[in-house]
Amino acid sequence: MIYIFFIVIILALLVLSFYNKLKRLQVQIGASVQEIGNQLKRQANLIPNLVDSVKGYMKHEKGIFEDLTNARKSIDEAIVSQDNKKIDKAQELINKSISSLKVIMESNPEIQTSGLVNNLMDELRDTADKLMYARRTLIDLSADYNSAIITIPGVWIASALGFKTEKGLETPNSSEQIKVTDEEMKTPKVNL
Amino acid sequence: MVNVYEQITNNKIRSGVIVGLFIIFIGVIAYLITYSFNLDYSFFIIALIFSLFSSAASYFWGDKIVLTLNQARPTSRKEFFNFYTVTENLSLANQTPTPKIFVIDSPSMNAFATGRDPNHAVVCATTGLLEKLNRSELEAVIAHELSHIKNYDIRLMTIVSILIGTLSILINMAYRRSFFGGNRDDDNNNGNILAILGVILIIFAPIIAQLIQLAISRRREYFADASAVKLTRQPQSLINALKKLSLDNQKLKTASTATASLYIINPFKGNKIANMFSTHPPIEDRIKALEQML
Repeated sequence: MIYIFFIVIILALLVLSFYNKLKRLQVQIGASVQEIGNQLKRQANLIPNLVDSVKGYMKHEKGIFEDLTNARKSIDEAIVSQDNKKIDKAQELINKSISSLKVIMESNPEIQTSGLVNNLMDELRDTADKLMYARRTLIDLSADYNSAIITIPGVWIASALGFKTEKGLETPNSSEQIKVTDEEMKTPKVNL
Repeated sequence: MVNVYEQITNNKIRSGVIVGLFIIFIGVIAYLITYSFNLDYSFFIIALIFSLFSSAASYFWGDKIVLTLNQARPTSRKEFFNFYTVTENLSLANQTPTPKIFVIDSPSMNAFATGRDPNHAVVCATTGLLEKLNRSELEAVIAHELSHIKNYDIRLMTIVSILIGTLSILINMAYRRSFFGGNRDDDNNNGNILAILGVILIIFAPIIAQLIQLAISRRREYFADASAVKLTRQPQSLINALKKLSLDNQKLKTASTATASLYIINPFKGNKIANMFSTHPPIEDRIKALEQML
């Protein structure tokens, strides 16, 4: 009699710990879905601002290059035309662009756009990675949960306790992505 | 193959056993010395307090001691963008908090993790590694280190490093005194005690080395490699990283035999005596195991 009592208690404890494990996984799955949202929000806030600041610099530096090109053009023209007025004007243009160049060189010792574009590319890769890993967490957790409720002992008690399978990352199961077309069988050619 | 949970329990038990053995070892030696020289029991008590203190230090400040010994410094997102963000991202997938991030200024390529649990963990890489690996390869290396963190390998390896370090300092001290400085202390017992201690410890040294190898089995590295691939799903990038690491022949000056087992690859390449203590499987075997996953 006492043995049966102990066996029942042990079984009850096992069911209890299994129930807690599944509940914990469900909470973690919920949190991982929220994490995806969190990362998407981060991306939405970060990327447009970075793009704007890079654009701003690009515009600024493009202006200087345009000024310089114009000045050089007018010198060429002036030399060809041998016209004093034009030479004076070219001189003026050069002085103007040199002074604005000086201001820029003093405030930023190097042209910054290329560094900023590199930085933007790093951030883009990082934010894509972050989203990928956030989705990966959801996939892994749902896989753990789902395999726990369809394997023994889960298969005996999970449905009785009301646990249903989690969908994980929802992907269409019957569309283009699980078919391979003839076009995709060929090695892609890269044309730059 | 054992799963992660068994590995964690296993590591916690081993860490406890190692600390216990250390205290017993110091205690027995101290007792033998007290007994055979009819010393005051205060010697025994001091030795016990010393062993308790070093065990506690290895548990609570092990990470700080290891970082100081290796001359590591904290770094920022701005300084090493890839290192910082890769660690952040992989911690998300690993479901552990982001560890503290440190670097060692050295052209040699290596990395390690330390700490006592995932909430008190550190990853550390050399600047050489950060400069020479691309982002995918760096991801593979950091994933390997984060697996050590999740498995509690870091606790075991840090405790072993500190306690072995303490023992090797004791052995060195006793060895010097017993063979070079013993005669000067003829008047008192100190010289003899240290001589005996020296002989005992010298006999024990190879046994201790064997013990470290048993404690930190080589399987640990294969397991961390496999878990790293589970995180990144890119065996090829870990293979590339390991190949680059094995081709690097810069020596890491700050590494010592005690802390060597923490690193992703053995920091003493080509040094035979140091390799006797090595707890790392050959890189070629690790690459072969990874190629099976492709």
